[in-house]
Amino acid sequence: MSERAGMRLTLGTFPVTSIVFGARTSYDGGRLTVDKTAALAAVREDARIVEADLEIATPGESVRIWPVRDVIEPRVKIDGPGVCYPGMCGRDITTVGRGRTHRLAGMGVVEVSSVNWHDSGGDFVETYLDMSGHYGEMYPYAKLQLLCLVVEPDRELGDEARNDAVHKAALAVSDHVAAATRELSPPSTEVFELGAVDPSLPRVVYIWGVHSPQAMSGSPTAFGTATYGLTRLTPAWLLHPNEILDGALTGPYRTAFAMSWTVANNPLLMDLYRRHGRDWNFLGVIALRTEWTTQHEKQLIANQTAKLAAMLGADGAVVTWDAGGNEFIEVIRTIRECEGLGIKTVFLTSEDDATDGAPTMLEPLPEADAIVSTSFFRNRTLGVAPVPPVARVIGLPTKAMNDDLRAGVGAGYERLVPVSGTLPPPWRYDDHYGFNSLSCIE
Amino acid sequence: MISAIYEFALTTGANRVVRGSRIEHVCGDPGLGPEKDYAYGMRIVTTALDALTTAVSGPTLFDPVHGASTAELARV
Amino acid sequence: MTTPLRVAHYINQFFAGIGGEEQAGVGVSFRDGAVGPGRALATAFGDAATVVGTIVCGDNFAAEQPDDAQRAIASHLGDVKPDVLVAGPAFASGRYGLACAHACLTATRLGVPAVTAMHRDNPGATSFRKSVLIVPTGESAMSMPAALEHVTRLATKLGRREPLNPAEVEGYLPQGNRRVWDRGRPGWERALDMLLAKLHGRPFVTEVPYNAPEKVEPARPIADLTRAKIAMITTGGLVRKGNPDRQVSANATRYHRHSVRDLEQLTPEGWEAFHAGYFNHIVNRNPNYILPLSFLRDLEKHGRIGGVHEYMYALPGVSTPVAVATGLGQAIARDLSTAGVDGCLLVAT
Repeated sequence: MSERAGMRLTLGTFPVTSIVFGARTSYDGGRLTVDKTAALAAVREDARIVEADLEIATPGESVRIWPVRDVIEPRVKIDGPGVCYPGMCGRDITTVGRGRTHRLAGMGVVEVSSVNWHDSGGDFVETYLDMSGHYGEMYPYAKLQLLCLVVEPDRELGDEARNDAVHKAALAVSDHVAAATRELSPPSTEVFELGAVDPSLPRVVYIWGVHSPQAMSGSPTAFGTATYGLTRLTPAWLLHPNEILDGALTGPYRTAFAMSWTVANNPLLMDLYRRHGRDWNFLGVIALRTEWTTQHEKQLIANQTAKLAAMLGADGAVVTWDAGGNEFIEVIRTIRECEGLGIKTVFLTSEDDATDGAPTMLEPLPEADAIVSTSFFRNRTLGVAPVPPVARVIGLPTKAMNDDLRAGVGAGYERLVPVSGTLPPPWRYDDHYGFNSLSCIE
Repeated sequence: MISAIYEFALTTGANRVVRGSRIEHVCGDPGLGPEKDYAYGMRIVTTALDALTTAVSGPTLFDPVHGASTAELARV
Repeated sequence: MTTPLRVAHYINQFFAGIGGEEQAGVGVSFRDGAVGPGRALATAFGDAATVVGTIVCGDNFAAEQPDDAQRAIASHLGDVKPDVLVAGPAFASGRYGLACAHACLTATRLGVPAVTAMHRDNPGATSFRKSVLIVPTGESAMSMPAALEHVTRLATKLGRREPLNPAEVEGYLPQGNRRVWDRGRPGWERALDMLLAKLHGRPFVTEVPYNAPEKVEPARPIADLTRAKIAMITTGGLVRKGNPDRQVSANATRYHRHSVRDLEQLTPEGWEAFHAGYFNHIVNRNPNYILPLSFLRDLEKHGRIGGVHEYMYALPGVSTPVAVATGLGQAIARDLSTAGVDGCLLVAT
C-alpha cells in the first residue's frame, strides 16, 4: 500500500526557543519573531471575528491562560498534496501525508476564547493552563513557548459558527507563523514511511478512540478531535500515520491531553512509528469514533473495527480513548472483539474513582487483560492542590465556579472568581496518550 | 432499569433491564411521529411493568420490540 | 534482627492428620512445633522463623460454632504470643478458606499480624480479601511449594513489622485500596512494553486487574400490579424549568426529589434536562422520555397499576463515582421502602 500511494513524508523540525513580536514574521536560529499586525490581519479576514489579540507566555512565567480550547503546533506543507490540518474550518480535504512538511517545535498556538462548546447540557470549556507551579508541571504545555490568540466572534452567531470562527482564527495564526519556515532549511529532518519489513515481525495497529460530540451537542460539527474536519459519528477510519503527522486528526478539545498539539505529538504514535521494522510491522491507525447512543450501534462499531484490524492482518493492537463516559463501552467491546479474533490488545486508559474498592473501569470486561493505567482522571481524586495566585492572566479575568466546581465560562447563576487568584484545578486530568508516569496501584 | 445501552446495565449487575430507545430519548422516538412515538414509549413502560412482575435470578433483559421477556443473559 | 521470628500456624483437621470430612466437627486443639504442611512451612522460612506451635480446628466446628472456635484460637494465640500467624494454605477448600480468614481476623484483633493463602475464588477470599491479607494460590495442594514460598516471604515482613508494598508488587490479593502511584516511566512506554510481552508470550502484569461488579440479589416480583404503587427515578438530569434548585449537570453528590402528585405528565414549560453527557434538547421538548409520567398516569387511569408514587427522584448520571452512586441509591431505596412503594422504574441516559 505504502509504495503505490507514495506515503513518504519528510518532516523538517524548526525548534522554537523564544517568541517575540517584531516588524516582520520570521524564524532565525530558534527565535520566532511575529508581526502581530500581519498575524491579526489574517485573523480578521474572517468577518465573524470581532476581537482578537496576541500574547506570549513562556515556561516558568507566573501566568495563567484561560479559557483554553486548543493548543496547535504550527505545521505547514512545503511540498506534496494538501494542507496541514486538512478539512478543518473549510480547509482543503486532499489526502495528506506525502512530500515535505515543516513544523515549529517547542511551541504552540493557543486558542483562547469564551466561546463554549455547545448549548446543551452544561458541558463547559474548563481548561486553563499554568506556565509554572505544581499544576502547570503536569502538562507538556508549560515547557512550550506559547503564542496565545485571545479571540471573540460575533455574539449573535450560533454556536457552530462561533466554534468554527475561533478555531479558524487559531489556524490562521498557526499558518502565518509556520509560513516563516517556508524558504528555510530545517535544522533537522526525519523521513517517515511504512517501508517493507521482516515478515516475521508481529503486525500491530493503533486503535485510536476519538470522541464524537454530536450525541451530546446535537451538532455534527461542534468541537472535538476531527478526522479531516469531520467530528461526526462514522464507522472507523483507517489512517496512515503520516496523515496524523500532517494534522488529519485534530481539533479543539475539552481535555488538555487531547488537544491538537498532544494529538500531533502523541508519544505512543511516534514510538509505534519509529520502531516499525525493528520491533513490529506497524500497519497504521484505526480512528474509532465514539459515543454512539444505542447498544446496537456500539456493538456494531466494535465488531466492525475489530474486523478491520483483522483484515489488515493485525496480530496486536494498542488502544487509547479520549473521553470519560459511555464512550468507554464501544472501546472496551472493540477490545473484546479484537481478542476474540486473536488480536492481542493493550489498553492505555485512565481510571475512575476507586472509593470503597469499586471497579475503576466503567464496564470491566475480563477480556481486557492487559491494561496500562494513567491514573485517576479527576484532578480531585488525584489530590491536586488548588493552584496558587499568578502575576498575569491571558484571556478572561474571571471563571464561573459552580457547586460541582466544573463550570467554566458561566451559565448565569454560578459565582465568578478571579482567575489570577487561587483556583481548584480543572475537573479532568486524563492523560489519554500516556505522556506522564502517574498511574494507580493496589 | 430502562436503558438504551442495556448490556452495560446487565454486565454491571442490574437485574431487570428493559431496552430503551436511544440515550437522547429513552422512552420513545420523536422520529416516529407523535402517535407511534407514544405507542413505542408505552410499550417500553409496559414491558418494564411486566419485568417488575417477573421473577428473575440474575441480570435479565426485557426487550419491548420483541414483546415477551428474553431468556436470562447472566454472563457475569 | 537475626532472631528467628515465632510463627503460629493454623490448619484444619485434614492437614493435621486427624481425619477427613468425618472429623470436620472436631474442636480447637494445640500442638507444639510444626504439624503436617507446617514442616514444609518451617523449611520455607529457613532461618528467618520457627514454627513454634500449630492451632488445629475442624472446618465444620469453625463454621458452626464460630464464637467458641475463635475464643479458643484467641486463647492459644495469647499463650503462644507469636510474632505472626500463618493460616492454611486453603487452596480451593471453601470452608477451610473461611476458617483461615476468621483465624486471621482474630489474630489481628489481638495485635498479631496474620496472613493466609487460598485460591482467589475461594469464598474466604471473595468475602474477606479487603480485611485479611491473602496470598493467591492454585486450586489444589499441588501448588503448595509456590504458595509456601510466597506466604513465608510476606509473613517474614509482617513479623518484622516491615511495611508492605502494594498488592501488585507483593502479590497478595488487592484489598480495595487502589491509589495514585508513580510508575517512573511514561504510560506510552509501558503500554508498548506490555504489547511486546503479550505478543511474544512473555509474562506481563496488568496495571488494572479485572474487578467484577457486585452481584445484587433480585427483588421479588410484584404480585399484583393493579394494586402496586410505582415510583420513578431518572439519571437523565431532569430539572424544573430554569433549574431553580441549581442541580448540577455532572459530578452529582446528591439527588433531587420532586412531587408529581398534581401532574398528569411532564411538560416543556415545567421541566427540562441539564446533563453534560447527552444532547438535552430532545428531552426538553418532551421530558417524559426520561421520566415516563405520562405513560404511568395513563395506565393508572385504566387501572393497570395501583398508583404513581407522589415523589420522583432525579440526578445527572455523569461521572458519578460508584461509591457516591451506591450511597445515593441506598438513600432513595430507603425513602421508597418507607413510603411503601412496590416497584420502581429507573430511566438511565
